[in-house]
Amino acid sequence: MAHPLLADTPGQTHLLLGNEAIVRGAVEAGLQVATCYPGTPSSEVPDTLFRLSPDGKYTFEYSVNEKVALEVAGGATLSGAMTLCTMKHVGVNVAADPLMTLCYTGTPGGLVLLSADDPGCHSSQNEQDNRYYARIAGMPVLEPATAQEAKDMTRDGLLLSKKHGAPFLLRTTTRVNHLRGSVEFGPVTEPGTPEGFKRNPSKFVPIPAFSRPMHVALLERLEALRAEAETSPYNTVTGSGTIGVACSGISRAYVADALAASGLGDTVRVLELGFSNPLPETMCLDFLKSVSKLLVVEELEPILENDLRVLAQKNGLSLEIMGKGTLPANNEFNVTMVENAIRELAGAPAAAVETCPAAELPMRPPNLCAGCPHRGTYFAAKKVFGDDAVYSSDIGCYTLGILPPLQAADFLLCMGSSISAGCGAARAAGQTVVAFIGDSTFFHSGLTGVANAVFNQHDILIVVLDNRTTAMTGHQPNPSVDRTILGENDSPLSIEAAVRGLGVTEVREVNPFNQKKTLAAFEELKELSGVRVLIAKEPCPLFTRRVYKKTAPQVAYVADSCAGRFDCLDKLACPAMYKSGGKAAVNPILCNGCMLCLQICGHIKAKKRGS
Amino acid sequence: MNDVKPIRIFMTGVGGQGTLTATTLLAKTVLASGLPVTSGEIHGMAQRGGVVESTVLIGCKSPKIGHGEADILMGFEPMETVRALPYLKRGGLVLSSTEFMPPLSVAMGKQECPTMDEVRERIAACTDKAYYMASQTIGIEAGAVQSGNIALLGALCATGALPFGPEALEATIKANLPAKIQAVNLKALAMGVAALEA
Repeated sequence: MAHPLLADTPGQTHLLLGNEAIVRGAVEAGLQVATCYPGTPSSEVPDTLFRLSPDGKYTFEYSVNEKVALEVAGGATLSGAMTLCTMKHVGVNVAADPLMTLCYTGTPGGLVLLSADDPGCHSSQNEQDNRYYARIAGMPVLEPATAQEAKDMTRDGLLLSKKHGAPFLLRTTTRVNHLRGSVEFGPVTEPGTPEGFKRNPSKFVPIPAFSRPMHVALLERLEALRAEAETSPYNTVTGSGTIGVACSGISRAYVADALAASGLGDTVRVLELGFSNPLPETMCLDFLKSVSKLLVVEELEPILENDLRVLAQKNGLSLEIMGKGTLPANNEFNVTMVENAIRELAGAPAAAVETCPAAELPMRPPNLCAGCPHRGTYFAAKKVFGDDAVYSSDIGCYTLGILPPLQAADFLLCMGSSISAGCGAARAAGQTVVAFIGDSTFFHSGLTGVANAVFNQHDILIVVLDNRTTAMTGHQPNPSVDRTILGENDSPLSIEAAVRGLGVTEVREVNPFNQKKTLAAFEELKELSGVRVLIAKEPCPLFTRRVYKKTAPQVAYVADSCAGRFDCLDKLACPAMYKSGGKAAVNPILCNGCMLCLQICGHIKAKKRGS
Repeated sequence: MNDVKPIRIFMTGVGGQGTLTATTLLAKTVLASGLPVTSGEIHGMAQRGGVVESTVLIGCKSPKIGHGEADILMGFEPMETVRALPYLKRGGLVLSSTEFMPPLSVAMGKQECPTMDEVRERIAACTDKAYYMASQTIGIEAGAVQSGNIALLGALCATGALPFGPEALEATIKANLPAKIQAVNLKALAMGVAALEA
């Protein structure tokens, strides 16, 4: 029996995660090709597509980075395939180059780009608002607020994209990706076979002579899409009264709940834009004329607000428009915050919310897991280099090495920057730099950094933290993995062969749980200059358990001879260890049997698991 | 949607505890009861022993709960219950585990968890409607430590604070959990209901 997300069962209702609803919407549209680079909060879209791929009628790939993902998707849609490409917001920075041109060439088979933005930085380095990308590139934008809309907008985005030959931006925020709500299914379209590429150089090859008319065609497409937005079911005006609220994205949900809570529902007209770019100007102008005062509710940047201010100015309207200033341009909103902004608009007093005070409590920061191989690598690196080196970090679980006691992350820009920014830091003032980069991040954008380092004769020690999977985002495959949830990787790439191929001659490989060998490798590489690579190779213990179905046969325990020096706790900060009655102790359930602690203290021993 | 009285449930626990599984089961129970439901979760760091917060909202469109908005606070770990108190409406309902999972700083002896008495005191300053149970111990007795969450959920259903009782949760467990773990969870549910009534 087909998985519910793939089955043609119109009318059925399921409780779905926003990201699962996106998958269903794509399946209903007749998805043919899907590409991605995983990243929170987008990851459950590709992970679901991957898990269902043996039964799905689409082809799917985890691409090595977002630029590649969008290029593969671009080639697919140019060849007539209905295509979905998914990434987190900062991934669109990586994919920005092909994105700009795809808006010129158009997307004959249809293309939806999912950009999962992260207001509040739940799991990201910034709060950038990717609705701006749509304005730079010239893209229509759909912004769902519910699971049902996540499904419907993905489907309609793909269908409209194919109809107009324009790529669509499906712009979500963390709350939408990770909400669950009821979704009523529509019929599934049989994907069939893509038509194949049809040669048309003036349309698809942006040499300057062709680019100029391509830009004209893009502007014309945007006007046709503006007409679609004018009649889109995702754009509505409701309510009555002389004051107005305009909103888009998840803010629409906050506005709905705030109006219900405030009892002001009957006095406010609400403009909701789910299809928010190009702006449906006629609809918006009618709305602006119908109210004397307006509040624009949108998280992050004042994009809709500025659109409406321009429209009002062009049409000589003098209504008061409130937006940023009343509501913040950073972080997420919530219902009470929006309710109070609406109350301010209506001249009503703020809502009385009685809260309980926050307590001073020990924090619970995320930490490297028990048995995480990165702990062994960091411990050895710090032992050899101490505070004399600058530690250039990168994006993955291993960024958690920033925390004490390991403190092995001094600066970080973006995926792959550990190597190239590390080179810059080393060259600027001659400081020793150790760069840490994970295996997936290495293939994402470390390769070019290595090539640059070799070419420009930089002086850097690059440590590839090779845990055989993409751990942080949920164990997605990358080019060097041996195995995935669906089976063996038939053609794994070798990190060692890759760096040697790029011209690095000083390459060592160690298991970081072998501290003696790891320390020796660091000592040896410390004495050398130029580009040096240490590959610290050992699988993520969670991945080992889930995919290799293996558990270490032994666990650590602290012998009665423990003198209570607590070096093990203070230096390793392993979550399986704790202080108990003046001695250190190991929780045998949490211990993953890495035996790193045995190598730093003679009072810690190994025993058979369960004994 | 407007004719359903909104109920906002904030749930908090520690990564790896099964907080999200419990959240989804409750959301499915609401849906099966014919009520409009939205649920939210923040993960990404969930594997790594961090705090995991989730929400179930009945009769609302938004999946988020702001400070002072929660009618019900479910704490699967007592210190996290206290940490989440600002989300609770004053006088709201609290159900909390009494069994600490010390964060690393406490395990390392650098900081101390509050005592259970301090936890009760802090909660009492916000509301007099609080129930406590050793849910992990109940889970272990039922057959799996994670089923302790189901005990706490069962107790919530038995308080009468929701528009359905424990039998609705029982039906969701039977319809959604794999057969091999159903018995354990049904037992935990019954034990949670009994613990509330004790």
